[in-house]
Amino acid sequence: MSAIASLFRNDYDSDGFRTCSVTGLDVHRSVENHVKLFGLTAVIALAFGGIFAFTVAMTRWEFIGFLDPGSYYTHLSLHAWNLLIFWMVFMEIAILYVGGPMVLGRTLPLRRLATAGWVIMALGAVGVNASILLTEAPNEAPLLTAYVPLPVSPWFYGTAIVFLLGTTIAALPFFATIWLETRGTRRTLPLVAFGAFITGIIAVEAILGGIAAFAYAFAWRIDLIASVDPGIYRQLYWIIGHGSQQINLLAMITVWYFLTHVVGGAVVVSEKISRTAFVFYLFFINLGAAHHLLVDPGVSAGWRIWNTSYAFYGAAFASMIHAFAIPAGIEAGRRRRGQGGGLFGWLTSAPWGNPVFAATVFSIILFGFLGGITGVVMGQMQVNMTWHNTFAAVGHFHATVVLGTTLAFMGLVFFVIKTMFRRDFVSETLAAAVPYAYAGAMSIVTLMMMYAGILYGVPRRTAEVVRNIPGSEFSFAAAIPIFMIFGLFAVVAIASGALFILVSVGSLLFGDRLPGGDDGGLLPEGGLHADGGQPIHAVELRGTFTLCLVFLAVFIAIYVLNWYLVTQLWAIGA
Amino acid sequence: MSDPLKDPDDDWWNSPVNRRESIWLGLAGAWSVGIFAWMAGFTQFGDQNPIGTTYDVDPDRYQERVAEYKEAAEETEDGLVPPGDDVYIGALRFNWDGLPVVLEAGHEYDIHLGAYDVQHGFSVRPEENLNKQINLQVFPGSEWVIPMTFDEPGTYHVVCNEFCGQGHRTMHGRFTVVEG
Repeated sequence: MSAIASLFRNDYDSDGFRTCSVTGLDVHRSVENHVKLFGLTAVIALAFGGIFAFTVAMTRWEFIGFLDPGSYYTHLSLHAWNLLIFWMVFMEIAILYVGGPMVLGRTLPLRRLATAGWVIMALGAVGVNASILLTEAPNEAPLLTAYVPLPVSPWFYGTAIVFLLGTTIAALPFFATIWLETRGTRRTLPLVAFGAFITGIIAVEAILGGIAAFAYAFAWRIDLIASVDPGIYRQLYWIIGHGSQQINLLAMITVWYFLTHVVGGAVVVSEKISRTAFVFYLFFINLGAAHHLLVDPGVSAGWRIWNTSYAFYGAAFASMIHAFAIPAGIEAGRRRRGQGGGLFGWLTSAPWGNPVFAATVFSIILFGFLGGITGVVMGQMQVNMTWHNTFAAVGHFHATVVLGTTLAFMGLVFFVIKTMFRRDFVSETLAAAVPYAYAGAMSIVTLMMMYAGILYGVPRRTAEVVRNIPGSEFSFAAAIPIFMIFGLFAVVAIASGALFILVSVGSLLFGDRLPGGDDGGLLPEGGLHADGGQPIHAVELRGTFTLCLVFLAVFIAIYVLNWYLVTQLWAIGA
Repeated sequence: MSDPLKDPDDDWWNSPVNRRESIWLGLAGAWSVGIFAWMAGFTQFGDQNPIGTTYDVDPDRYQERVAEYKEAAEETEDGLVPPGDDVYIGALRFNWDGLPVVLEAGHEYDIHLGAYDVQHGFSVRPEENLNKQINLQVFPGSEWVIPMTFDEPGTYHVVCNEFCGQGHRTMHGRFTVVEG
């Protein structure tokens, strides 16, 4: 116990504050300890869900064929809920506390509420896991979606609602901070706090949708109402089903701005443009969730085009703005200090051995190229016919939430270990290897998922179809080579994930304590703030511009290729 | 004014924007509008659109309708030959009621999709070319009528791609498309 208690100790002054040796922020004990509490819980969920990544991947890789179908769906549900929801949402509450009171140098208001929120969230998370594990016929495993009228345990819906209520309570201290900070003044929040604030609003929207969807299904499962409409449930469900992933996206982008600054020396190239992009998200991104209903009966073409295009492209445009602004921030910051000339010297001379920097930059690149492009392409009504519920859709969201969000959050966990837990890594080499091994292997895994889905039509959510569809002579055997590559690299990716857990937990337990004032080697060359240099708008951002042109070219190529596949189909629809 | 952890300057809204960032805004904006226009336009000039008519229908009533259709259809070794242009398919755990079916290439059929129990996924591809495939969602309580014209003869396989229970992976059906 004393080892755990020592994790929550730091040298604070008589008011409970200390100055962070990396960010220079005034950090209060109440904020820091809650960030640690939520962050540690998130890592436990990551480790638990990661176990099921192994069993699920080794089942879909039918060469191994690890689980029978019954256990497969149980494991798939546990994998999804622990990684897509519990790992991410516990991290996101920690990010709200960093983005709010920590960045603003305040104490955490409503502390008891924060702790109560954590307790309720933890109870909900344990309850959801238990309800999945204890599922008995005629109930089925819920997967992530628990689509009605498939019979799913009412305990599942009930405990999921408890988790959502806990999350809402845990977010209140953040909103209170913003309210206290801004009432009666005309001041503008720092960009990271502003990003966290928009994240929080989107989270509230998503949570309300989730409570509505699960309460509707719960009422039906306990016989309060006689029947449910699958179409209405789907509309409600996807407010949280995709909304929760939009929280991940916004939290991730906020973390990108934060970490590229503190470990890469990045600056904000235009407050106006970056903030406007966040406001675009506020208005548009949750409507984009309608792209899950693109091949549903009962929704008109006009409804689909409005919600997924007008709304969706408002959000896609915002993402393309950040795609320029964030690398441009690194380029401008480094060029102003004279660190690296030429087209890409600012990038090649960057601190690539620092796992926080490497994880952040890989997250930016891989989210954009693999996750973002595929998301927009599959969000087109006609292309969606070829992606919907295939393994390619699974590839898309692994590219966004694993290569994007998880990788960024891994960088953040490493950052927190050094700056808040004040521990050195047990091995700098192993820590530095994590983002390279994980990003590299997962990239290949997600690409194979996409190929299996788009080029071979392999459906998602099946225990086996590639070697054998029972009762049929048909199979997807042509995709076997793709699955061999998928399986091998899934093993490497999961081993890299395990290495991340080992380095993190090992550093917390056995890492040397960093002396006061030591930056742990995190600070960028030349320190956090470089004085002088040209004004930012005059810095040559030609490296970033070139990278963005490459991005647009890839985007166009993938778009054209997908549309080519669509037009090769037989004639469908009006 | 360049630090994301500090309040921006008072005049942050009026600070000049880097020329290349402005150009990028233009490119990204034009691309967003362009792909929107293409998608909306394709519903007018394209041949592949997941657009049809949906009717509310009681699942039991839909099952009766599929039974009536099967009664009227001609049974052959390769499957049912529909009596007219309408083809009824009912999804249930873990079978496609109404399949296999024999259709003529180049002929437009109205494919009726509905489910008797839970949600299913209607996923179709020719046996010889797996990357030509479509995927539609099927609900109990809805009858979705989608016109389709198969251009090329061959065997088209139908699997369920929405989790509908533990036997989900066994849910398989077939279209046999013959020369018209």
